[in-house]
Amino acid sequence: MDLYIYRAGLVSAAGDNSGEQFLANAPSYHTDRLLCDELDYTAYIPPMQLRRMSKAVRMSVAAAKICMRQDEKAAAISVGTGMGCLYDTEQFLSKMVTQNEQMLTPTSFIQSTHNTVGGQIAMLTGCHGHNLTFVQRGHSFENAVINAGLYLDEHPGEKILTGGFDELTNTSLAILKTAGVYSIEPRGPENVLHHTRPGGIAGEGASFLLMGKEPMPGSLAIRGLSLFVTKDTADALQQVTSFLQAQALEPGDISFAMLGTNGDGKYEPFYKALRQDVFKDCSTAVFKHLSGEYPTAGSFALALLYCMTSQNLFPAFLFNDTMPGKVKHIVLVNNYVNHYTCWHLEVV
Amino acid sequence: MDQQAYVVNTGLITAIGNNTGECLDALVAGRSGVAKAKYLQTHWRDEVPVAEVKLSNEELSAIAGVDAGWPRTALLSAIAAAEAIQPFRGKLQGLRIGFFSANTVGGMDLTEDFYAGFVANNKSSAPLANVTNHECGAVTELVSDHLGIHDFVTTISTACSSSANSIMMAAQMISKGMLDVAIAGGADSLSKFTLNGFHTLMILDKEPCQPFDQNRRGLNLGEGAGYLLLMSEKAMKQCTAAPISVVSGYANTNDAYHQTASSPEGLGNKMAMQQALQKAGLQPSDINYINLHGTGTANNDSSEGLAITAIFGDKVPMASSTKAFTGHTLGASGAVEAVFSNLSIRDGLVFPNIRWQTQMEDIPWKPVTELQTACDIRHVLSNSFGFGGNCSSLIFSKS
Repeated sequence: MDLYIYRAGLVSAAGDNSGEQFLANAPSYHTDRLLCDELDYTAYIPPMQLRRMSKAVRMSVAAAKICMRQDEKAAAISVGTGMGCLYDTEQFLSKMVTQNEQMLTPTSFIQSTHNTVGGQIAMLTGCHGHNLTFVQRGHSFENAVINAGLYLDEHPGEKILTGGFDELTNTSLAILKTAGVYSIEPRGPENVLHHTRPGGIAGEGASFLLMGKEPMPGSLAIRGLSLFVTKDTADALQQVTSFLQAQALEPGDISFAMLGTNGDGKYEPFYKALRQDVFKDCSTAVFKHLSGEYPTAGSFALALLYCMTSQNLFPAFLFNDTMPGKVKHIVLVNNYVNHYTCWHLEVV
Repeated sequence: MDQQAYVVNTGLITAIGNNTGECLDALVAGRSGVAKAKYLQTHWRDEVPVAEVKLSNEELSAIAGVDAGWPRTALLSAIAAAEAIQPFRGKLQGLRIGFFSANTVGGMDLTEDFYAGFVANNKSSAPLANVTNHECGAVTELVSDHLGIHDFVTTISTACSSSANSIMMAAQMISKGMLDVAIAGGADSLSKFTLNGFHTLMILDKEPCQPFDQNRRGLNLGEGAGYLLLMSEKAMKQCTAAPISVVSGYANTNDAYHQTASSPEGLGNKMAMQQALQKAGLQPSDINYINLHGTGTANNDSSEGLAITAIFGDKVPMASSTKAFTGHTLGASGAVEAVFSNLSIRDGLVFPNIRWQTQMEDIPWKPVTELQTACDIRHVLSNSFGFGGNCSSLIFSKS
């Protein structure tokens, strides 16, 4: 699947990429949740609409608009979200339960629909094209990328806006801590990535990418994408190796590997084996100390990689030991619980 | 040249029947499934009729052969998906199989119970098991794991057009040779969440609904699941399967007008139908039957009606909404109606738009109100339009 990323926009706990500040400083915190560092939205969203938007919607619309800046239009939109518009869902659910199904108002119900983000971006950018939303747990964003590829195969000259978003609420944090997905204790960036205790650092964010089928100067190519679901980290390791073989990538070809290490002890043996064995001949980088863990964190990783390669910006706080040399081929390996993803990217 | 995606079988469960055959019997007999809620425990039970599948969760789980603790949407999905693939089990060795299942409600029926406990017990002792399958994708995975399908699994959630989009994407992946077989469609159960949501929008009919009638009052919510079994030519040969139709056209567009309402002239609706016709290489005059989205709301039927008039002029083909039978099954509706569209092609039938009484003033044509038999139905257009301006049209052509 050859797809090209032309631009990226992101809103994350590490800020947004609308100005020069993104990646300027190493992260610093001690917390159990990495909430988005939200920007001043007035440049992107009319105030009347902004007042009604949940965080999921406003950060997504802003990320989409940062991605397209003032001068781009997308012919179509493809979105992934693991949890959808959680805040509005919970608002409506909570009132429905406590008010015994009475005296309810429609606003939060209307905005709880999973495709609210796709619909709002369409409305605010006047995009009448194809517009799908995927909700497949840790593969939601990746499914949206596969859909983008299908769309572009049939509309080769066009560009499609593809993104992922998830928002964290107090309830989802509490539930996912109990379920062992999120870490119960606060962590800092120095120990957020490698831990023996269960749970990764909770996060949220929205990232959008403008994609097409034609290579352009400075674009980042998606050469391969593999998705698998497994409860067995040894099986996951085998699948990563198979992916590298299928992509005909030799150890010496890879400039660096970006890994979805999230500090959850359950996945540490998997990532340790990747660092010390599979990718022992190249640099390895990390990103979840910036974004936190969420089902569509892969969209943040891809947007981050685009920002890094397009600006030739490789901050030391993203790399484990050695810094990469000239960057050409990048492998991204990520997981959200049992959903794993491998990407082969190439700087054009 | 791309390959074609053939429809070789269907699976269905709705308020009018627990499988494709039972639903077809009800359509032919003119038997609606809209009634007072029996299983959905809601404050509005006596005020708002619904189209429930006439089985409890325990009965559904017994049919599906799965745990009764699954969300109701997953139970409905498992039954219809199994029906679709059943005749070909054991013949699928070596074929790449995908499961494309849309839904909008996920495990909300169980989450509602969980949340009540979560609020009441100050967030401590509510059973986590009731919320582990909350996500739409979790519902799909319960069923894909049960069926043993792992090559590609996805969940689309674009409100009322969701499962039409599943069929579109599955057809594309078969066309590109990425898969050989796909079970494509969707499921949605009734829940208090959706019922109350639509109630606040004041678009629920307190009587059985009357789509495309001048005096229509709104929609009835329904529940169910529908799937098409799609195959490539290679897979059909291996399975000795015969096609009902081919997925000849599809399009998804966006109205970009309002989060819940359609533009008055149905711009997105019109674009979806036009682009689907273009994809199929067909003229409007080639269409023999339109399965309307036809929810029964003032807004939808007017916008859809005007968009159809704009495309088909004074030669609107036979058209009907089947939602007066099944209610609006939301994320399942596109696939439920895709199954009906295929039955129309297979059996030469056009199903009646039951309960229609009065001509709509803003359109010059009327839906088919009596069952039509022995028709030569070569091309069917099926519309599904949803919140977020999402508009999908599918075209099935006799193969």
